[in-house]
Amino acid sequence: MTISGQVKQTVASLNGIQATLDAIISIEQNKKERQLLEQNRAKIESVIKNLEKRISKLEFEEPQYKGF
Amino acid sequence: MPEWLLILFRSAGLFIIALILTRLLGKRQTSRLTFFDLITGIVIGVIVATISLGLVNLTYGLVALVIWTAFPALIYLLSIKSKIVRDIIQGKETVLINHGKVLEDKLMEALYTPEDLLSQLRKKDVFNFADVEFAVLEPTGDVSVLLKKDSQPLTPKTIDLKVGRESVPQTVMMDGVIMDEPLAAMGLNRGWLHTELEKAGVAPENVFIAQVDSAGQLYLDLFDDAIQVPKPKTKDLLLATLKKCQADCELYALGTKSPEAKKMYGQSSQILAEVIADLEPYMKR
Repeated sequence: MTISGQVKQTVASLNGIQATLDAIISIEQNKKERQLLEQNRAKIESVIKNLEKRISKLEFEEPQYKGF
Repeated sequence: MPEWLLILFRSAGLFIIALILTRLLGKRQTSRLTFFDLITGIVIGVIVATISLGLVNLTYGLVALVIWTAFPALIYLLSIKSKIVRDIIQGKETVLINHGKVLEDKLMEALYTPEDLLSQLRKKDVFNFADVEFAVLEPTGDVSVLLKKDSQPLTPKTIDLKVGRESVPQTVMMDGVIMDEPLAAMGLNRGWLHTELEKAGVAPENVFIAQVDSAGQLYLDLFDDAIQVPKPKTKDLLLATLKKCQADCELYALGTKSPEAKKMYGQSSQILAEVIADLEPYMKR
């Protein structure tokens, strides 16, 4: 698998984590815990953004691996 | 009237009187009796017994009984109000071991032999008196023991372990019947419960108890104990995936030749490590 493919996979996993966290946040009753979860969700969001930026660069350098 | 009938009536009457009078003495627990409480109890008992057997005059006996319940009740009331009275009536605690050293003069004061002390410590599962930092003889005769820090049972605090907040789970099903109120309190509904049960592959009428924790994980106990219920794995899976992503980022950081990308991957891995450290106590509950 190419590097861009691997990074895309990681991004997909992180997106999956985001979705699970969202589900937990929507049910969680305790305010403090919810805050903790939301904070960490934002952190993961920033990581996803970084990785996506890198992916677009990789795709620019090697257009043959564009897309899935 | 024959003597036996007299005793019968007297006993029945005194039984009720004694019951009421002892209720007036308050709800002090029998396990926390001081010596004085014990004496009061015995005296009341003896008076009641002698009256009901007709050994003393009825009026004399009743007077004594009233005095012996009124005075202790009065003293208890006073002792609630004043510390001095409390110390006199109930006694003060005596420090037997302080800073790991046995205080011999205090032991003498409390009329405690070394054997008594050791046996009381053993009752507290302390077989080595060197483990004791502080021991106190309570007014009730019990010995309370504080162990030295290094002999105390291990708690999450001592090893600096972060633990998630313990949350009270809601019981949403009992005996196969869905309880709507706890479900609504969690912000869930029957549809959600049915979906979760379907996910676990369990028929609703087979559920004996079902509980939901604060993160919405469903824990089940079935009537049919032969069926293995899958344990909720969402949180474990989430944590594992998170760890994998962090390792991936580290791997990319090692693999890339661009210094800029290396820095970005390193940062991402660090952020994810922080997230893992933050969420681990919550996920491992």
